[in-house]
Amino acid sequence: MNAAAARGPAIDQKRKEAYFTASQGQLIWARFKQQKAAMAGALVLATLILSGFFAPFLTPYDPTIAGRDKSYQNGAPQIPKFWDENGFSARPFIYSYERSRSIATNFRWVTQVRRDQRRYLSFLPEGDSYTFLGMKFNHHLFGVNRGQIHLFGTDSTGKDIFSRNFHAINTSLAVGTIGVLIAFVMALIIGGVSGFYGGWIDSILQMITDAIRTVPAIPLFMALAAFIPDVWSAEMRFFFISTILGLIGWPTLARRVRTHLLTERNQEYVLAARLCGASPGHIIRRHLLPSFTSYIIVDLVISFPYMVLSETALSFIGLGLKDPVNSLGVMLQNVTDADVLLNYQWYFIPVIFFITLVLAFVFVGDGLRDAADPYSETRK
Amino acid sequence: MDTPLIAARDLSVHYPLRGALFGPRPVVRAVDAVNISVPRGSFFGLVGESGSGKTTFGRALLRAAPISAGDIIYDDGEVRYQVERLGSRDLKGYRSRAQMIFQDPYAALSPRMTVRDIIAEPLEVMGLTRTREETDERVRDIAARCRLNLEHLRRFPHAFSGGQRQRISIARALVSRPRFVVADEAVAALDVSIQADVLNLLRSLQQEMGLTFLFISHDLSVVAHTCDHVTVLYLGRVMESAPTRELFAAPRHPYTRALLSAIPSLDPDDRGNAQMLEGEIPSPTDPPSGCKFHTRCPHAEARCRREEPALSQVAGAHEVACLRWRELDGAVPVAPVRQPADGTTPT
Amino acid sequence: MTRLLEVDNLTLQFDTDEGRITAVEKMSYSLDASQVMGLVGESGSGKLVSAKSLMQLNARNAVYDPQTRIILHLDGGPVDVMTLKSAHDQKLVRGGAISMIFQEPMASFAPALTIGDQMVEQLRLHAEMSPARAREISIEMLDRVGISVPAKRFSQYAFELSGGMRQRAMIAMALSTRPKLLIADEPTTALDVTIQAQVLALMKDLVADFGMAIIFITHDLGVIAQTADTVAVMYLGRLVEQGPVRELIHNPAHPYTRGLLAALPNLHDLDSELVPVAGDIPSPLERPRGCVFHTRCPVARAGQCDRVVPPFTQLASGHRVSCHLASSEAVNT
Repeated sequence: MNAAAARGPAIDQKRKEAYFTASQGQLIWARFKQQKAAMAGALVLATLILSGFFAPFLTPYDPTIAGRDKSYQNGAPQIPKFWDENGFSARPFIYSYERSRSIATNFRWVTQVRRDQRRYLSFLPEGDSYTFLGMKFNHHLFGVNRGQIHLFGTDSTGKDIFSRNFHAINTSLAVGTIGVLIAFVMALIIGGVSGFYGGWIDSILQMITDAIRTVPAIPLFMALAAFIPDVWSAEMRFFFISTILGLIGWPTLARRVRTHLLTERNQEYVLAARLCGASPGHIIRRHLLPSFTSYIIVDLVISFPYMVLSETALSFIGLGLKDPVNSLGVMLQNVTDADVLLNYQWYFIPVIFFITLVLAFVFVGDGLRDAADPYSETRK
Repeated sequence: MDTPLIAARDLSVHYPLRGALFGPRPVVRAVDAVNISVPRGSFFGLVGESGSGKTTFGRALLRAAPISAGDIIYDDGEVRYQVERLGSRDLKGYRSRAQMIFQDPYAALSPRMTVRDIIAEPLEVMGLTRTREETDERVRDIAARCRLNLEHLRRFPHAFSGGQRQRISIARALVSRPRFVVADEAVAALDVSIQADVLNLLRSLQQEMGLTFLFISHDLSVVAHTCDHVTVLYLGRVMESAPTRELFAAPRHPYTRALLSAIPSLDPDDRGNAQMLEGEIPSPTDPPSGCKFHTRCPHAEARCRREEPALSQVAGAHEVACLRWRELDGAVPVAPVRQPADGTTPT
Repeated sequence: MTRLLEVDNLTLQFDTDEGRITAVEKMSYSLDASQVMGLVGESGSGKLVSAKSLMQLNARNAVYDPQTRIILHLDGGPVDVMTLKSAHDQKLVRGGAISMIFQEPMASFAPALTIGDQMVEQLRLHAEMSPARAREISIEMLDRVGISVPAKRFSQYAFELSGGMRQRAMIAMALSTRPKLLIADEPTTALDVTIQAQVLALMKDLVADFGMAIIFITHDLGVIAQTADTVAVMYLGRLVEQGPVRELIHNPAHPYTRGLLAALPNLHDLDSELVPVAGDIPSPLERPRGCVFHTRCPVARAGQCDRVVPPFTQLASGHRVSCHLASSEAVNT
């Protein structure tokens, strides 16, 4: 016997009503939740974004030169322990180290680990001050009672890689956001006008779009890098790079917007609006834009990692951001040294974080793309 | 009231196509010098097959298709408009009086708007109400008339079936209290059992609100039941126009006769086709010379190829465009012209 | 009349995001050679997927009840279509013994291949023959369906033909393998009424000539009246009434069939009211309990029709109906 037939109405009234009154956003979210990979990606992404946002609190030290540990340069990561040959400790600890030089070491600085001296981890200590959301704080999540702790090691000047890592995530996300926003606004305007009006306006705008698309990024940046005056502060440089990334990224998005508008504007509901005398602005705002918001969101999420990676690449070759602004690219500026590759592998720990970040974006973007067509299946 | 509500005189809608690289650009003569007058309060049927131009005609009346020649006069007793020449201000006024219902209930409603917003949109765009309460009041009123459940106003279109969506479409078209409504294949996409429902609704709304309908359809049976007057189009020209009963009881034009006999009868024992039309419908970019129908007409003569018939009056409101209509009264077709199935004209 | 097809307890469900949807439920019927069966129903009736089951053409999320049997009586003996699992075996029913034509002829022809290429491919997939012989047969078929200058059309592309001609070409392609059964899915719905008349006449002709059976799927009762020998009416996945066409049209027994007929504009009686069938077709996610039609039935009996699925009652010869009231009427007469 067919269980389905005997069951009668399969969905109860409340769920039905929820489905009927669900707006587009709610429907997309409902579908998105069903995809495991996407939800996992979203979780990871949220974690990374939050950790970047709260980086000044989460990390123990100032990521710039000001917070460096002179006595522990190119130092290996220090893993907190609970137990060693001297006994068990409830509080995690690390070892102290001393720098000394003497004739025995040919007057080179040598760092020695002192296993008898412990440094205990403390929580919510006061440390370097920082500004967060316009206010000054100086508590950090954790620290040690003496000296410094370097969970991911230090670089050649003694800057804590752990701290730099999370500040870098924040910076890269910020650059990506600004770039994506600029690209989005331009794509909406240019793609929108192109797609909505068609005709010769479309042809001209498409020629411009294609011209911009063919501009090669690296030579452009090299040229721009030569023009950036040295007197510009790090922040200005930051905004400048972000803007340029946005200005180069809009053509692909614009094309998507245009294509979608060209199809949708011939739909009957648009004609119905026209027959009421609706202005083009009204039609775009109330009918056309909502119809592709879902697709645009997907495009935005997917273009994020490209922005981040572009910025990384540029900063890596020295054309992007510089100290004291921190980003993955800046952190990788010094890794081409053979010394680093052979001896100081912990310089690459941030790379893992960035791979994870980009993958998370990609999973979320794919999941959104699958979830974003909630109306296609209701057609008979 | 003898003045028709809306009258098209020699109306033509020609679309130029992107032509061959050399030679003249082909033109689609979608509507070609058509004369149609829709009386006030009528349920006026416009029928035709593909390429007949019926949809284009309906859109032209609402200024949703470019008018190449001829004029359209709208006169509802309060205002009189030359529709093809309306400036933007008068066009606004016209829009609140003339609206359209579309064929595809799935494409005609904006999927990201609630039903309430969809129905309210004409009021808001045309500025017909001043406050939100007034808008809501009118939306509820028309929704109730269209037999829509008021709870449904909060829902989105994806919650509804084809028939319900069509009723939402109707509510949207009527919320501005127009006088003239073009129903472009309004029931064609609906299931048969729902069609009857929507047709009855249109008829009762017409009575209640004093509307005039131009009902465009390819389905003659539906037209027969709902319309009081029918005009038959073929390749952009009027072939015949008459009150419904007369058209179906005594059609004069060979095309109308063939159309009627082509409709599959519900009676299984009625299986003789009086006249089967051979051949295909010619393309509107390259219509036949003289009478547009002559290539498929079983009664065509030499002069039908040369001369284009004008509309002649048969009786009262019954008109026909055929050079031979008088002779063909009850005549058996001469030799049915065998047309090759690819629509080429025989020499 | 030799029996060609027996469908027994066809039950088909689809696994979707919203759950398991029942598309066809316990459908049983049989078809003889050279018989034309009209399969009538509206949206959600399951008429199309039930026909596609005969050719195992349903989507991969289709779940058949294990008790479903579809027996095809061929020259080599009976074959249960449900046992054909591999693509090789299924070739027998896909274009071989059973062929299908569709509503939208433009969508059935590949746009980048000529008509001839596709017809030849169809032939050579189902029989061993040389390209030259396949071409010969194809051109013959094109001629048989009334396409003039068939050799020229053979080398043309689908977009070069008009709608009516494309439909004829599709019929030619479907028939070139001499199937025993042709499934026609709304073949004339997209055509103008004058062209429809031509195509229907052609199909009747071919039935006589080829001795094949047709399952004619449509929502248009007029077309059914003119072409079918027997009619099966479906609603929400169940077969509700079946019988010879004259019987069904003159004496419809099921309230749904009656409703359909009453809702149709009839050219012979322009004064009659169009009586719609009340309510809307329920969503397949909410199939009514008991009789699937009871939510819209004007004579439904509370307590019975909403609880118990009505069994089939035999009326006049070959006419059966699934309705509680009809069965009690039959008992009383």
